[in-house]
Amino acid sequence: MSDIDESQFFSFLRDRVAQRTKTEADAIGMDMSLADLGLQSIDAVLVCGEVEDRFGVEVDPADIFEHDTLGEFARAILKRAGA
Amino acid sequence: MALFHLGLSTSGHDPALAIVDADGKLVFAEATERFLQDKRAWGIAPDHVPHLEAALKQVGFDFGSDSLAVATSWKKIKAELPVELMGELLPVTDARWLRELHAGINTHAGASLLRLGIVQQMPEVRRYDHHLCHAATACAFAPVDTASCLIVDGEGEAGAVSMFDLRGRELQRRWRSWGPGSLGTLYAWLTQLCGFDWRLGEEWKVMGLAAYGTARPEIRDALVALLEVDEGRLRFADKERLADLVARIRQFARPADAPLMSAADLAASGQAAYAALADRILSGIADGSEGNLVLGGGCALNSSYNGTIAGRMPFDRLFVPPAPADDGNAVGAALLSWMETAKTSRVPALPATPYLGSVAGKDALARLENLSGIARVSDVSANSEDRVAALLAEGKIVGVMRGRAEFGPRALGNRSILADPRPADMKDRINRLVKGREPYRPFAPVLCEEDVADWFERAQPSPYMSITLHWREAMARQVPAVVHADGTGRLQTVSSSSAPWMHTLVRRFGERTGVPVVLNTSFNIMGKPIVHSVEDALAVFMTSGLDAVLIEDLLIEKTAAS
Repeated sequence: MSDIDESQFFSFLRDRVAQRTKTEADAIGMDMSLADLGLQSIDAVLVCGEVEDRFGVEVDPADIFEHDTLGEFARAILKRAGA
Repeated sequence: MALFHLGLSTSGHDPALAIVDADGKLVFAEATERFLQDKRAWGIAPDHVPHLEAALKQVGFDFGSDSLAVATSWKKIKAELPVELMGELLPVTDARWLRELHAGINTHAGASLLRLGIVQQMPEVRRYDHHLCHAATACAFAPVDTASCLIVDGEGEAGAVSMFDLRGRELQRRWRSWGPGSLGTLYAWLTQLCGFDWRLGEEWKVMGLAAYGTARPEIRDALVALLEVDEGRLRFADKERLADLVARIRQFARPADAPLMSAADLAASGQAAYAALADRILSGIADGSEGNLVLGGGCALNSSYNGTIAGRMPFDRLFVPPAPADDGNAVGAALLSWMETAKTSRVPALPATPYLGSVAGKDALARLENLSGIARVSDVSANSEDRVAALLAEGKIVGVMRGRAEFGPRALGNRSILADPRPADMKDRINRLVKGREPYRPFAPVLCEEDVADWFERAQPSPYMSITLHWREAMARQVPAVVHADGTGRLQTVSSSSAPWMHTLVRRFGERTGVPVVLNTSFNIMGKPIVHSVEDALAVFMTSGLDAVLIEDLLIEKTAAS
């Protein structure tokens, strides 16, 4: 597991969430909650899977629900990847 | 002062326990259903007190000085994940029910140690990833250092497929599937559509029925379209498309009052869809495997498909453990716990034996003499193989209970009903007199490993009855009772080292009849688990048409008066 480039990671997350919520990536703020994003729980789980696949960091399906915002989730994953 | 490792299968269905000793040796493994004689033992604690106590006694655990690490086969409690359940295929109530059982069992795992006085406080429990447990079990029974290990089931922690690389006996997950897309769920739904019940574990019936039908492209293709396979990961089609496909497929469902055979084409189409989807997963995972595939998870019980893998897909050899489904996870959890303590990442390679369960109780054995008033009891320790072979050759149906019980769903000679496969009516006789199974379901053959190529196409070893192969046509005619409607048999192969008694028995039967093949079915009656106690075995003997039972070295035959 290696360090993940932060901006690349954030942009990947925004893309994936945008695709699942059928919105523009620019409309996705890292300070938004799942509810703000309109992200269904099943789609949130699938996004976790895409993160695991793309960045090779182990993600738990519950991870994304344990943080208030997309940004907090992202930072937790970055921290784990760097650990 | 030894530390043992107790592995628990904590899915909520098919509980089981396994014990690994301080040296990493698997000394016990058994499903709870056997002890309780309650099929699948839904919701029962895998560390059910009397079962655990009996198991610990059998392995020589010292309650005064030894200690026990407890390990579960799930890391997380499913019910705590705030995800809406998918109700398009199976009823949401089933999923909710299962989640409740799962939560309770994982919460209380290890509590039995308090009752047994092994601990003073609720023990710390080691919790392992569900698919990692499957993989550890599957690889422990695979005698290779390098392989691709694929786990396919109903659901895991994140999804229903995980792919691991086994390298130098070390397991590393390469990828896993996320979300509800699942071959296990698909097959469970197919089971319902055919008019059976997945909760009763009736997926077998679909597989058996499939041989009577023809795969119809319109059904098969719609079933295949339910799932997208993206580099091995499974995803269900999106909601609208799924609803459309489900409606289309439901037209072919068998109504409760329709004849069974009206579902044969649906079953065949479903089996074909399963094969097409599994092929897509397998086709992308062979690199670095040295031709070895280790398969685990409940879907590894699909013996019809398993028999088609080696040589056709990019693998030369297939290894399926004796208990690939959730019961088997007890072994994986216990081994992972031992590995954690031993600070090793190498999965131990276990001896190739499924005979890991309980032995017949000594007291019960001593009481068997009391049967002499109503049955003929003989000590046949000098030549039990020959005596049983002689009875079989006379057309007798014989129950056998010898040694340790098999771990896993198959009777492999230690808790088996045996018969002569040559008479065409033997299948119906066993069903009428003993098993009460549906007439379309096949019985299995047991052969000596060295004979397999004489009898089957694409011969491969099958020590745990994990694969179905095509009989050679000329040979099939000699053993009609063990040939399925499509010319296949789900064989067990025995070697003189792994199953010496059965090997000798098959040889003796061959010498008497010229046909070294014996019919082997599980020692139970329909709807009940395989017999556990001597009394269970005797109950089946006395209330069925069994002609004789061999319990250890005592042959008990019905006399004319009884």
